Amino acid sequence: MAHMDATLGASPSGQLAHKPTGRISDPIFVGLLWASGLFVLVLLGLIIAMLFHGGLPALKEFGAAFLWSTSWNPVTEKFGAGVMVFGTLFSAIIAVIVALPLSFGIAFFLTEIAPMKLRRPIGVAVQLLAAIPSIIYGMWGFFIVVPLIAAYIQPPLIEWLGPLPVIGALFQGPPLGAGMLTAGLILALMILPFITAMFVEVLESVPPMIKESAYGVGATTYEVYRNVSVPYGRTAMVGAVMLGLGRALGETMAVTFVIGNATRMSASLFAPGSTIASTIANEFPEAPMGSLKLQALLQLGFILFVISFIVLALSRLLVRSKLKS
Amino acid sequence: MNFAPDTPLDIATAVNRATPPSGQPKLKVDKLNFYYGDNHALKNINFDIPEKRVTAMIGPSGCGKSTLLRVFNRMYQLYPGQRAEGSILFDGVDLLGKGLDSTVVRSRIGMVFQKPTPFPMSIYDNIAFGVKLHESLSKAQMDERVEWCLRKAAIWEETKDRLHTSALGMSGGQQQRLCIARTIAVRPEVILLDEPTSALDPISTSKIEDLIDELKQDFTIVIVTHNMQQAARCADLTAFFYLGELIEVGVSSDIFTNPREPRTRDYITGRFG
Amino acid sequence: MASLARRRATDLVVKAISTGFAALSIVLLAWILWTLISRGLPALGPQVFTNVMAPPGGNGGLLNAIVGSLLQIVVALVIGTPIGLMCGTFLAENGRGTRIAGTVRFINDVLLSAPSILIGLFVYQILVVPFGGFSGWAGSIALAILIVPVVVRTTEDMLNLVPIGLREAAFALGAPQWKVVTLVTWRAARAGIVTGVLLALARAAGETAPLLFTSLGNNGWSLDMSRPMASLPIAIYQYAASPFEDWVALAWAGALLITVGVLTLNILSRLFLAKMK
Repeated sequence: MAHMDATLGASPSGQLAHKPTGRISDPIFVGLLWASGLFVLVLLGLIIAMLFHGGLPALKEFGAAFLWSTSWNPVTEKFGAGVMVFGTLFSAIIAVIVALPLSFGIAFFLTEIAPMKLRRPIGVAVQLLAAIPSIIYGMWGFFIVVPLIAAYIQPPLIEWLGPLPVIGALFQGPPLGAGMLTAGLILALMILPFITAMFVEVLESVPPMIKESAYGVGATTYEVYRNVSVPYGRTAMVGAVMLGLGRALGETMAVTFVIGNATRMSASLFAPGSTIASTIANEFPEAPMGSLKLQALLQLGFILFVISFIVLALSRLLVRSKLKS
Repeated sequence: MNFAPDTPLDIATAVNRATPPSGQPKLKVDKLNFYYGDNHALKNINFDIPEKRVTAMIGPSGCGKSTLLRVFNRMYQLYPGQRAEGSILFDGVDLLGKGLDSTVVRSRIGMVFQKPTPFPMSIYDNIAFGVKLHESLSKAQMDERVEWCLRKAAIWEETKDRLHTSALGMSGGQQQRLCIARTIAVRPEVILLDEPTSALDPISTSKIEDLIDELKQDFTIVIVTHNMQQAARCADLTAFFYLGELIEVGVSSDIFTNPREPRTRDYITGRFG
Repeated sequence: MASLARRRATDLVVKAISTGFAALSIVLLAWILWTLISRGLPALGPQVFTNVMAPPGGNGGLLNAIVGSLLQIVVALVIGTPIGLMCGTFLAENGRGTRIAGTVRFINDVLLSAPSILIGLFVYQILVVPFGGFSGWAGSIALAILIVPVVVRTTEDMLNLVPIGLREAAFALGAPQWKVVTLVTWRAARAGIVTGVLLALARAAGETAPLLFTSLGNNGWSLDMSRPMASLPIAIYQYAASPFEDWVALAWAGALLITVGVLTLNILSRLFLAKMK
């Protein structure tokens, strides 16, 4: 081996001194690349482990019932995640239900209707909604949206729909403005750009030939969209919705401002509630280091992480399975 | 009809007829097999490449000619799953042997690609990039080297006033000659050309062909081409590959006027490929 | 089968509704921006930039919060960018097609959208609890963890746009991998990588939740990274929820500042990206 290196290292003419540089730094560089790659895996493992470990005492104290127990009483030190898990899911589902038709419409507009020149600027404007920080949505929601909803939306809905059987349960309580519905609406606006962007990406990947053959048999733009483009990208679009859901589940500041922060459970859209994230943000200042309350909050964090991880992972798998094919 | 795998081709005779004797072959391919994963891409190739001559490799797409080129400078080692068996002697040293430093091999066996690959930097820095990897030169020496190789590649006149502008602003033909200059600048012994003119217009192509003729005075040249006229014009020797096998190799004029193999004849007369 | 007239009508109605939805989203964006400008601009006097936070009625500003934010973000970038850049490079250069890279990419995508408040709790657990207190360092680390996935994602995407031939040409000259990557590939993807860093910066600038449990906030002037440190988002949170008019006004001023900064960074990064493609 040494002989070969020597032969190849020497220059044929004798005047060329080959001085290969970087032979030592290359393993270092490649090692750094690998280390950074593995860092992401270790990070995820550490996050899960630390949240679980931190919340373990609360889990031991309350057992598995912590998951569904609806009591949250700092005075008697009885904690359960039920109200927050419910609030997290309820507000996120409202958000998805509101954002979904909007995203379908905006994606249709951006891919089929808008004049070419306007597509980019309008698309960018929609994307800027995603750039606005959560706390800004919170302030806007708290100072502008909450009073409007309390004054103009809730009173008529409570009056008209409240007395109805079954669905009336959704429209009960005083018109406070802050509550599940408001949180869901603000969240819908926040996840809208994410869902729309992925919808547009999927729709643009539909082969033009497939669309053209549908136009060729006389379908209208909407019929092509509905019967060809959307079915073509269905899997990835479900993934996009899951991404929106995953983002809505963990949103903190905006929700904290507008959800009302009540630790009661109610089926009403107008009732104040709380999510896991808003509870952690709100109650943390009153949870001293090492207290049972802090441990309960960490356990809440662990539950939120598990829920979002499952939803986001599912989203990734659905989106990628489509992009591969 | 097929050659028995181990029958050595009468290359020495061929070379002697084309050119004065030049001693040992620069590259000696011996029982080379190459695999992309499970795909057996080169099958028992035996083949000598003489020094300071132009050797062309022709054949239909997927015949393995480009693969062989990429074995010569160990480019295949960048990709896991690709492996070579057998030996390629380069001045007596086995290029497939373990313990060789690929970076040193590549500094002595240069390569020019199908599409021009200018780096996103100035013309001067494009050339200095490769030189600096292997030598430490003073500013004056580097200036001299840049001029030398740009002259060799016949683009000095076009570039001398814009050495410090981006190489991305040049035309395709100029970029390709810059890439040749960049390869020469490292002062390799062998230059591998992978369809160097397939992306160029006819005028740029003929400039590059003239350049190849010049360069064989100093370098051993191996060129892969789809253009039969190009092989006939530029190459001293031509090797015909088909489905991963070396079918026939000989002096270019013989191959193109009087091929021994029916498959070679079919290919060069355009019956397939 | 529906009549042609009916199908045409449906088509028109859906088009109208879709256009209306798009218009609605623009109107909502404009409404948010208008709210910020109309409430924030009047409060955006010079004292915002010259005075530190003060008790209600004390003519306070946001100087310490602005400086604290900048300091924490810069440190976060210094920590997070190299890790993200190297990891993105690993995915695009070394890991292509391997199982491990697939896993890393997957996890990174999940982290990209993971609730930021949990990153705050995590850093609280690993830094604040063991080292006995809230600190600017902890805030910076939390922000760094948030920006790594952003940089990884854009770096990988941008490096994938660099033609394989360019790398091979550099290898063919005998360059070792670290030179191929640093001198050729990164350089070719420069504009895209800068985009990633700008996006990361924009993300870090607006994050509030992860700072709640890490740098906590600080009403006074402090440049000591080992102590609790003020930041703009935390100051806004604290002031917006307060009953004092001058504090709420300052919150709007801060909100305007952050939003203008974040949107500018976003638009800048899009311009960079357009240049790259």
